[in-house]
Amino acid sequence: MSVVGSYRFHTGVSAFFEMATADARALLPDHLEPIEVRHQRSVLSVNAFLFDDSVVGPYTEVMFAVIVPPLVAAWGQHAKAGLFPFLAATTSEEARRIKSERFHFPYYDQNIDAQFIETKDRVRIRVFGAGAPILDLSVTPGAWETTTHLLQGFMMNGTERLRTILQISGDYTVHENEGGDMTLFPHPITTDLLRQEVSPYPFREHWFKNGTEVFHKLEAF
Amino acid sequence: MSDNKSVGAQAPVRRIELEEEGTHAPPTVPGAMEYDYTNFYFGAGDDPFALLEPFDDWYSQVEPAGYYLYELPLHTQPGTRVDITDTKTGEIRRGLVNFASYNYLGLSYRPEVKKAIQEAAEIFGGGASGSPILSGTTILHKQFADEMAAFKGKEATLLFPTGYSANVGTIAGLMRSGDLIVADQFAHASIVDGMILSKAKSRFFRHNRADDLDRKLSGFDGKKLVIVEGVYSMDGDVPPLPELIEVCKKHGARLMIDEAHSAFLFGPTGKGVAEDQGVEDEVDIHLGTFSKSLGGQGGYVVGSQQLINYLRGFSRSRFFSCALSPVVVAGLRKALEISQKEPELRTKLWDNVARMQQLLGERGVPIGQSTSHVIPIMVRDDARIFAIGEELMRAGVFINPVRYPAVGKHKSRFRMSISAAHTPEDLLEGATTIAKVLDRYGLCQS
Repeated sequence: MSVVGSYRFHTGVSAFFEMATADARALLPDHLEPIEVRHQRSVLSVNAFLFDDSVVGPYTEVMFAVIVPPLVAAWGQHAKAGLFPFLAATTSEEARRIKSERFHFPYYDQNIDAQFIETKDRVRIRVFGAGAPILDLSVTPGAWETTTHLLQGFMMNGTERLRTILQISGDYTVHENEGGDMTLFPHPITTDLLRQEVSPYPFREHWFKNGTEVFHKLEAF
Repeated sequence: MSDNKSVGAQAPVRRIELEEEGTHAPPTVPGAMEYDYTNFYFGAGDDPFALLEPFDDWYSQVEPAGYYLYELPLHTQPGTRVDITDTKTGEIRRGLVNFASYNYLGLSYRPEVKKAIQEAAEIFGGGASGSPILSGTTILHKQFADEMAAFKGKEATLLFPTGYSANVGTIAGLMRSGDLIVADQFAHASIVDGMILSKAKSRFFRHNRADDLDRKLSGFDGKKLVIVEGVYSMDGDVPPLPELIEVCKKHGARLMIDEAHSAFLFGPTGKGVAEDQGVEDEVDIHLGTFSKSLGGQGGYVVGSQQLINYLRGFSRSRFFSCALSPVVVAGLRKALEISQKEPELRTKLWDNVARMQQLLGERGVPIGQSTSHVIPIMVRDDARIFAIGEELMRAGVFINPVRYPAVGKHKSRFRMSISAAHTPEDLLEGATTIAKVLDRYGLCQS
């Protein structure tokens, strides 16, 4: 499989929140269905990565995605989950330009500011746009291990359906102890997309450190 | 805070080029044990069989690594000592202390129960041979339903072939599209499936949290049903019924309780957790199973005659299933009779629960927040729980491992079921063995 982009990160979090399935469906293209964590409740994945080693230098990316089923693949290449990013934002215009071209992520067209505050028992990510708060997300750790995740990312380029394999490796912890929390502030970034009820606490908290995010070649399907 | 470090501003500025298209770097495939059933639940594409082959390939790797610990065949009755086939080695492991069966009062193999079953088999044969609304109802079914209603102090009972069908049939029989059902987030799959079948709007409140139930009921106009359980089967805790009832009343919601793991055990007369908390008459629908404390099979719902009359016509899971075997019903009648005549069984159960909690506590075995006969032994390690389970089986303990997705990620545990039939020797041997094995994994707290 061809690698299109490889990004080293210092810290990455992915927090899963319950959202109404009707809202998730509204965010997805017709060919994708949301995975339900329980009846009528789908999964909003809020991701924040602090990339410390890229062609554009260090930058932060925040991404909102709906969790969807991966396309079936032979065992050995079978992705654990699929995600459809419906909103992304970065602190770097250049990173935004490159990733828009390569991966067709739906970026907010203005730079954001982000702050990662790490303590022993949590990492807090505060995101701002033009000085106004957008997101305040905290994730807590469980037991740490070193691992690799295979995921499938789904994108749209106009009407073209695309997918890629996304490989995330690094130090990793995941749990469902409901130790984290999230506040979404009213902001132009989120107002149109996330106005419906989203759980204020993550039912699953992923936290990566010192890892690599690798994107493989996009395929039309 | 002094140990805070804001890494956003101080990140090192090191640069490498993005790898370009055409670079070949096969991904490092995660190990098979890092996957679980949820990774094979949904499949995209047009072929419903597309997931079978990758699933089979995965399962062939993980089965010998631990998944074989499920569905181990028993050679004996579900007593406190059992013989089971170790399907990994083919050996029969004999005399294991059994903490896996639901036989909370030890009634499934009581001589009186077996005799009642034998006598019924002579008269009725093996099966009911019909739906309960057509030819499947025998006089035994009628008598047992009346006896259950009398026991629960309600007007009527409806019998179901399983506890699962009782939940599905009751919920989907009563609620409709446009209604609202709010269930505890740890509600059993049969409750969730009933909610799905009903087509009502579904919400889940945080486990045992009356304040969150209040939020989830707010702002909805229409028919509302709240569903809780008597004892939650993975944690062994009970709901705060008075608080939940207050919220239900505030919102005009009906309350249903599934006492699958608590009926015949809790309360002064064994009716269940609702009786134990003094709110038996404030719960609108009482539901449960016969497969646990009574050691048989089947499910029930008790309530007003009007409720039962309605559900008789609209519970499709009962309507379109064969009735409980009369042989099973005969055994259940005797088991119910014994449970009422011998309240000392409940006393013995609670003594055993207290004793086991003490034995495990003294040995530093982490047992969660259980307040019941269901005691979770917390491992919290999805990767190692199968290895520990295998050691426990080979050391002489039969107990079920529970891991994601049955419980949350890294909330792995063994679910221990205590029975009134356990002897002090069973409890001591079990606790000692469990502590010894868990200690090898560094899981006992000193």
